[in-house]
Amino acid sequence: MEGVSLYPLYLTLKVSSVATLFSVLAGFWVALLLAKRDFPGKHLLDAIFMQPLTIPPTVLGYYLLVVFGKTSPVGRFLEDTLGITLVFTWKGAVLAAMVASMPLFIRPARAAIEGVDRNLENAARLLGRSEWEVLTTITIPLARKGILAGVILSFARATGEFGATLMVAGNIPFKTQTLPIAIYDAVQAGNLYLANLLVGIITIFSVLTLYIVNRFTGGRY
Amino acid sequence: MALSFHLKKGFPGFHIDVSLDLGDEMTVLFGPSGAGKSTILNMIAGIVRPDEGFVRIDGRVVYSSEEGIDLPMRERRIGYLFQDLALFPHMTIFENIAYGLKGKEREEIEEKVKEMLVVMRLVGLEDRYPHEISGGQKQRVALARILVTEPTLLLLDEPFTALDYPVREKLRTDLLKIHRTYPVTMLIVTHDQEEAFVLGEKMALINEGRIEQFGTKEEVFYTPRTRQVAKLLGIMNVFDGVVHRVNQREVIVRHQDLGLVRILKRRGWRFREGERVSFAIRPEEVMILREDKPGKADNPVEGTIVDIVEKGLQNTLYFKTRGGASMLKIDMPLFAFRKLGIERSKKVTVSLKKECIWILEA
Repeated sequence: MEGVSLYPLYLTLKVSSVATLFSVLAGFWVALLLAKRDFPGKHLLDAIFMQPLTIPPTVLGYYLLVVFGKTSPVGRFLEDTLGITLVFTWKGAVLAAMVASMPLFIRPARAAIEGVDRNLENAARLLGRSEWEVLTTITIPLARKGILAGVILSFARATGEFGATLMVAGNIPFKTQTLPIAIYDAVQAGNLYLANLLVGIITIFSVLTLYIVNRFTGGRY
Repeated sequence: MALSFHLKKGFPGFHIDVSLDLGDEMTVLFGPSGAGKSTILNMIAGIVRPDEGFVRIDGRVVYSSEEGIDLPMRERRIGYLFQDLALFPHMTIFENIAYGLKGKEREEIEEKVKEMLVVMRLVGLEDRYPHEISGGQKQRVALARILVTEPTLLLLDEPFTALDYPVREKLRTDLLKIHRTYPVTMLIVTHDQEEAFVLGEKMALINEGRIEQFGTKEEVFYTPRTRQVAKLLGIMNVFDGVVHRVNQREVIVRHQDLGLVRILKRRGWRFREGERVSFAIRPEEVMILREDKPGKADNPVEGTIVDIVEKGLQNTLYFKTRGGASMLKIDMPLFAFRKLGIERSKKVTVSLKKECIWILEA
């Protein structure tokens, strides 16, 4: 019996938390844009942001490698100017998890923002409030359930991210080996005890997440 | 206090083109659903952008396509009472009323909100949420939230629709009181004739994006200018005839069925003998003569009551002339109906009072 390390669990929570933070920060503006504005190419933009839901994760990972890899201009800029290396580091896992989980935030957040009665926002404007104040005192508070549901769902998706993470960050124990990758690794190595343990943890977590989301929102998202 | 505007906006198959110049009376925009009334309010408020035109409130231009002015909603200082009231459901009544007072001292906000709670009879409700109060209270909260910001113009979109009858009466009193107390121009949109009559001092009749007639409510209600206006006001009693004779005090029109109809000549009327005209009389102005007191009455017409529609305190009767070619609608209070012993198929004589008949423009 080998010793069981909980490092993959810790790494997964760290990667997912950071990834969720970024996907909410970026995804919120996308959700707001899609909910409030009509512009040419809106459906295309929507389709692009929803891609991670349908595209194979390995393909997504490949795209990320092409765009953020050491040979690409973006990758070189990040490495030379900002000192951030993405490929084969935990930051790469964050990138993969963020991109994969963003649509799960955007969808419920957008629906919730769209669901806020425009009359309420116009009433606030007519009472002398600025766009920023309308957003923070009317739109966000009234869309909070959908936004929260999006946060939880995207976090759950980030914890389960496998394919793209493997492509971008690889499978380096104690460095980039997240829970799903550790499960894959354990099964490959015939370590069923470890596999069962990790699978158990992730299953309980996943069920709990959806339960909480449903409790919060009455099953709307 | 004043509001003047000229607004144009095109939609597929529909075009709005209206201008009005209002003083500080309560003005009603009255018209059928889909006439463009709410869109006009929304253009004044800045919610909908017009294609061209201008909006001037108290001499302040808030929109002008020519000068390139288009103030955002927050700078227009307009109080807008939405049809659904648009109370913020996540805020208490106090927070709702205080919402438009941002940037003022805390004590000043509290003082103003408290004063408004008293004026609008909302004391004790300040910590409740909108879903915890009644429809009439909600309406007063919405008004309080607007009035506390001291707008120069008040726009009201169908203010009565959501209310029961007894509450309507109170709201009407409130609005009249507000209008007396605060110097504010009021523009009220409605498709309800009663609401229009009760609230309006001036009335603009809107149809298909255009103003058909604008004047005091009495003018519009009792002297509709065109056949179209009469139709929109639900005046069914419109007849076509030929001017038979014109003298100093009367215009006498020959109608194939009603005979010679004497109409009181109004100022400015210039009709020539032989001219084809339409004339109208409101259903409530048609008088049924008592059998026992025939007396002398204007324009007596003999005929039969063919149908009775009971409407509570008032009944609507349909009267067919003896010739059978013309139908008159008659509205009459229940007590008169009973006193006259009216029933279906009863033969009666009605009188069309000459001062109640109006000649319409073609």
